[in-house]
Amino acid sequence: MRLPRKRLYKASIPTASMSDIAFLLIIFFMTVTIFRKARGLPVQLPYAKTTERILKQRDLSYIWISKDGKISVDDNLVSAKRVSLIFRTKIQENPALITSIKADKDVPYRYVYDVMEALRDANALRIVFSTRKGG
Amino acid sequence: MAIFKRVQLEEEAEIPTASMADIAFLLIIFFMTTTNFAREKGLKFVLPEKKDQPQELKVKSENLLKISINDRGEVFLNDEQGDWNNLEREVKRRLEKNPKLIIFIRTHKDAPYEYMIKAFDAVKAAGGTRVGLGIIGEVQQ
Repeated sequence: MRLPRKRLYKASIPTASMSDIAFLLIIFFMTVTIFRKARGLPVQLPYAKTTERILKQRDLSYIWISKDGKISVDDNLVSAKRVSLIFRTKIQENPALITSIKADKDVPYRYVYDVMEALRDANALRIVFSTRKGG
Repeated sequence: MAIFKRVQLEEEAEIPTASMADIAFLLIIFFMTTTNFAREKGLKFVLPEKKDQPQELKVKSENLLKISINDRGEVFLNDEQGDWNNLEREVKRRLEKNPKLIIFIRTHKDAPYEYMIKAFDAVKAAGGTRVGLGIIGEVQQ
């Protein structure tokens, strides 16, 4: 009479540790997640063979330069002079700042040069020319 | 009745943990969908510091390689016309001959940005580390 009862008892799955596993995964994804701060401008990045991965994602700040020379920082269209002011405060907040320049491949070079000069004025010297891997 | 009440209280003291995993998985799904693992990619460069007095750096012409790009996207090595396909090999050859070589990439103000990246990429691929970037033509600040 008691045998079937024992079998029923064995069939149960222990779910007590399920939430522990789930929370472990949550903590993993929470620490790894970086929310996008800005949408930027539509740009076609140039290709480069020596493209490297930039690992310090948290120190990155972006500047978009579109084909017609529009400059966008944190989703605001700005002039090259404003870039200098914005980055002066940014570099004070985070001295390890790396600026990623996402410029369209067809933009006349003077726009990129102006932004680079503005960054020099702001003393934000570490930059990355954002590119795609390829020849 | 009093005994019955006490028993009920003891039952209420339990915390239901069955739905805990559901909540946790909901959060997991949220973070999984919002996570983007795509890492930033690009070419690193450190800009020269801006000083109050413009620093004049004298470089012997034999230690300097000027790569110039005009507005039509043609490339010149020192003052001879070069070839985009040969640029990396040529820079490498010159670097081997003179490891102290400083490479200065001058791009015309109206030249597409792509060409400057192309030249910079070729220099990086050739192993050049001392690189300067300049512009040809007037720029209004």
